[in-house]
Amino acid sequence: MHEPIPVDPISLAVFDAAVRAIAEEMGAALQRSSFSPNIKERLDFSCAVFDDEGRMVAQAAHIPAHLGSMPDSVRVVLEGCGPFAPGDVVILNDPYLGGNHLPDITMVTPVFLTDEPDAELLGFVANRAHHADVGGISPGSMPIATELYQEGIIIPPIKLWERGVLNEAALALILRNVRTPEERRGDLLAQYAANRTGLRRVRELVTRYGLDRYRQLCEAVLDYGERLARHAVAQIPPGTYRFTDHLDDDGITDDLVPITVTVRADGTSLTFDFTGTAEERPGSINTVETVTKSAAYYVLRCLMPEDAPMNHGVFRVVRVIAPEGTVVNARPQRAVAGGNVETSQRIVDVLFGALAQALPDTIPAASQGTMNNLTIGGTDPRTGRPFAYYETMGGGMGARPGLDGLSGVHVHMSNTRNTPVEALEYAYPLRVVRYQLRDGSGGHGSARGGDGLIREIEFTCDADVTLLTERRRFAPWGLQGGEPGAIGRNLLIRRSGAGLEEIALRGKHRFTVRAGDRLRIETPGGGGWGAASERG
Amino acid sequence: MGRVGVDTGGTFTDFVVEADGSILVHKELSTPQDPARAILRGLQVLGWVRRFERLVHGTTVATNAVLERKGARTGLLTTAGFRDVLEIGRQDRPRLYDLRQVKPSPLVPREWRLEIRERLDELGRTLVPLNEEDVRDAIDVFRKAGVESIAVCFLFSFVRPEHERRAAELLRQAGFAVSASHEVLPEYREYERTSTTVVNAYVAPVMGQYLRSLEAALPDGTSLWIMQSNGGVVRAETAARQAVRTLLSGPAAGVIGARAVARALGFERVISFDMGGTSTDVCLIDGEPRERSEGRIGDFPVRMPMLDIHTVGAGGGSIAWFDAGGALRVGPRSAGAEPGPAAYGRGGEEATVTDAAVVLGWLLPEAFLGGTMRLDEERAREAVWRIARRLGGSVEEAALGIVEVAEANMERAIRVVSVERGEDPREYGLVAFGGAGPMVACRLATRLHIPTMLIPPHPGTLSAHGLLIAPFRRDYLRTVMLPAAADPTRIDAAFAALVAEASQELARDGIVPTEALFQLALDLRYAGQSYELTVPFDRSVETAVERFHQLHEQLYGYGDRGFPVTVVNVRLRVTLPTDLARAPAPDTVPTPWEPEPIDVRPAVFATGQRLFRLDVPRFERSQLDTGALLVGPALVTQYDATIVIPPGWRGIVEATGTIVLRHREEPRDPKKSALAQGA
Repeated sequence: MHEPIPVDPISLAVFDAAVRAIAEEMGAALQRSSFSPNIKERLDFSCAVFDDEGRMVAQAAHIPAHLGSMPDSVRVVLEGCGPFAPGDVVILNDPYLGGNHLPDITMVTPVFLTDEPDAELLGFVANRAHHADVGGISPGSMPIATELYQEGIIIPPIKLWERGVLNEAALALILRNVRTPEERRGDLLAQYAANRTGLRRVRELVTRYGLDRYRQLCEAVLDYGERLARHAVAQIPPGTYRFTDHLDDDGITDDLVPITVTVRADGTSLTFDFTGTAEERPGSINTVETVTKSAAYYVLRCLMPEDAPMNHGVFRVVRVIAPEGTVVNARPQRAVAGGNVETSQRIVDVLFGALAQALPDTIPAASQGTMNNLTIGGTDPRTGRPFAYYETMGGGMGARPGLDGLSGVHVHMSNTRNTPVEALEYAYPLRVVRYQLRDGSGGHGSARGGDGLIREIEFTCDADVTLLTERRRFAPWGLQGGEPGAIGRNLLIRRSGAGLEEIALRGKHRFTVRAGDRLRIETPGGGGWGAASERG
Repeated sequence: MGRVGVDTGGTFTDFVVEADGSILVHKELSTPQDPARAILRGLQVLGWVRRFERLVHGTTVATNAVLERKGARTGLLTTAGFRDVLEIGRQDRPRLYDLRQVKPSPLVPREWRLEIRERLDELGRTLVPLNEEDVRDAIDVFRKAGVESIAVCFLFSFVRPEHERRAAELLRQAGFAVSASHEVLPEYREYERTSTTVVNAYVAPVMGQYLRSLEAALPDGTSLWIMQSNGGVVRAETAARQAVRTLLSGPAAGVIGARAVARALGFERVISFDMGGTSTDVCLIDGEPRERSEGRIGDFPVRMPMLDIHTVGAGGGSIAWFDAGGALRVGPRSAGAEPGPAAYGRGGEEATVTDAAVVLGWLLPEAFLGGTMRLDEERAREAVWRIARRLGGSVEEAALGIVEVAEANMERAIRVVSVERGEDPREYGLVAFGGAGPMVACRLATRLHIPTMLIPPHPGTLSAHGLLIAPFRRDYLRTVMLPAAADPTRIDAAFAALVAEASQELARDGIVPTEALFQLALDLRYAGQSYELTVPFDRSVETAVERFHQLHEQLYGYGDRGFPVTVVNVRLRVTLPTDLARAPAPDTVPTPWEPEPIDVRPAVFATGQRLFRLDVPRFERSQLDTGALLVGPALVTQYDATIVIPPGWRGIVEATGTIVLRHREEPRDPKKSALAQGA
């Protein structure tokens, strides 16, 4: 602990608004100039501002999955890529060196006061965006894999721009390893532009306040985040709370994958201890430690006011123990594509499951607990060019005490938007047959779980499909007597003679389809809360 | 013959009358249950009822119908398999971390969202022909349920509207009011199109009834015009049909008024800053007001060309409070009109921005609303004292803190419409209006390094003035989704269809097409992008594409001439300015003179962290004729606003009656500062 910095409540509020605006303006720049629907339409990105020690001062997150992992990217860059000069920009996606999974490419820009070679380092700005393809064995780069090498190109932290000069060779190497290089190039340039926006704005803020005052205010904003987080933690009755839930499988074997957490609350801080969790797996459901931290920070953040800041100060009140070699802290070179999107959801589920014992009137039942990742690749017969389509799907939100869960929404670690049907059919050789709420899939209870979604897609050409989905075996649980939500289903519908044949697919599965085949995904409903007999 | 602009607001209905070259301003208390009552009463008071040839109206009827869920009983027809699109939306939850969040239920309940077997592909080819039996079955359901108004939205109807058109025809024959998506918004993205069409279906009958009854009550020979969100007016009949276009009616009029005030003095680049009791509206004007193509009403997206007005929940009534982390916050909660700020003496106890202004001596208790309502200084001090106690400083310091935090919110709003759109606010002037705008605007301008500020003659009724001078305007659009390299005659054909449609409709509004200005534009993007930039089209796709590259580079830092470009939409804008808008700028430089203050009042100002209590001369605006010089610190009171001029600012009353204030320091040259380097 350090001495609190004397900053008055007014300056604090004004500075916090200003520094958060930087992250938001970076996001606006990224969204506007990026190419792929994944970033522009689905908002699968985050932007953040850091101080010169690499501590996160502000973040504009659309994706909670990035909460804890962006700071780790900057830490790795700070430790491994220096010394820095004005004009440097570091790129990375290596999950074992500051990334979370390969499609999420991070760009970190050190911010100097001026462009002079001896200028003072003010801090960093960083953004992370999910790219629709980074190579590997499956189009869309969310494969059923057994090694990181199969999941795509691995980019360790390297300076893609050095003193303002683009390393064309490195860029060419990256682009040669992905399926849709033009789109990637556009998105990478957009990420570069977003950081430039952030850099300009940090300099403006330092000019407005002076460097000493700027540093003092950054410190105060972190303390402010910490105070808000401690206030939230103080509401949790001291005690030890345990909970275990399971992943369906790792996509390679059928072995059970338990995730166990012990939450220890002492009134001022929290410990989330994952001892007892399954060992790392051959399939891609492993997560690196930063993703586990992101899930932990997300849960803490949900207990804080909606407009609270998200910064390093908040992280101070929670300690995460993720034993090395488990699925919540995998070792190199385990596959991790699914860990980031699926295991992270289950980590949230067990944390809420444990906290429900401490805060029964606050915590919701289990939500759909998956992002229903779907990737489709092939050659578009209309253009003769390769395409890679990545989509995730919403489902049922768990019922809240006295309040039904929302239907057909992304829950917890994701909040990406869907691709509009008309945008999808313009862009890809696919046709959406139906897109609707999945009636009756929410768990019954005095408050009902939200319903899942149904999306049925017809292929107009042969294609390669990968499903990375969860809660196809273990249903989202209810609380206080509420019933579980319906498990999800994946069906392949294929013409067979005069009729149609429905083939049930595994939750994690890669397969090829023929033109005319249909894929129907039915996403899980949310768990119910309270006994159904008490529903008014 | 005269003209009158009538702007219906939450508290007041404002009137600005123009007759024989003179301007008259009037206010009536609004009558929310039937807004027409206040309008007719005001017209009677004005006594000129028989002489108005034209009444231009800014209305909140459509907006309120949505916000208060008082629209028509509305049904929806969709392509089979897609009735839930309206409810699913974009599948994102409204808030990331809120465990208790709720989504508003759709304007059409599920049982009135009916599916019709039909399907087109992206080129408009029929995959499933329209099943008219399904439409007839739907008509039976709607009839039994007492549904009044139907939205029709089929996939890819904007490519080929035949199915939608036929379904709409059957519904209209059956006596329903119909909003078909290819008429309301022929643009791709089914959720936004459905939402927009449904909002239109929901509000059009309410709007139609309101406008018809208002029109019937007006004397013969008075034509009724309605302000749209795009800053232009149309005849009431058109507005009733396309009611979804009027959702920003009032705020848009304010922007048009601000532009006129600025333009009359030769300022082309200004930011309009309209601060009221509960919220603040800002909009960037670069010759023309910036526009955007999508907004929200309540939580429902509406895609329509609209002025790019950004609203934040910070106004004079915003309440100050401490959060759990110990930061001082202001808003979004507001004391509203009831109980109002503590200074209103109506039971409000929490400190608001208005109370802070009273404590600082910026608002004079006896001069509020022309003295018709006295402010209670003691109560204001008491409320602010509770904040001061927690801060551990003086009441004045706390008051200034409240103002400062509120200003941070407003600064953010101005940054959203400028910086986030790639514009530097330092290159703009600020037009401050609304009841509270002229009070804080100088300080705000100082923060943003905006060197010049304009205060219109009647800051509290600028929106009504904007109504008078707004041009006629209609917008047309169609998605074409063609490579820019495609046969240009296909683009020409799409434009020809829009022009033909427009020409037909203009006749209905009594506009002679040859007098109107037709502006064509293309929405372009790099192939694979999913957001578009709008560039003007002057018969050459090639020129438009080059403009697109330049604009993209300017906005986003790179343009790629090697990359294929897609034409997403064709756009047509038809405008016809009013003769009032063409009033020439006075080119006389006013002769400066020094007015006598009516009294001297103590007021608090700050430099950095230091506070000063100064004796400040106060002037009455009605006594400030052309050329009057104002040197800060100074206060100017008038019926509907108070102007606070801090030290460092000086102003002059121009011949148009507008006060132009300038900061003493020369604006810094942005190119020389460290900020712009490396950008």
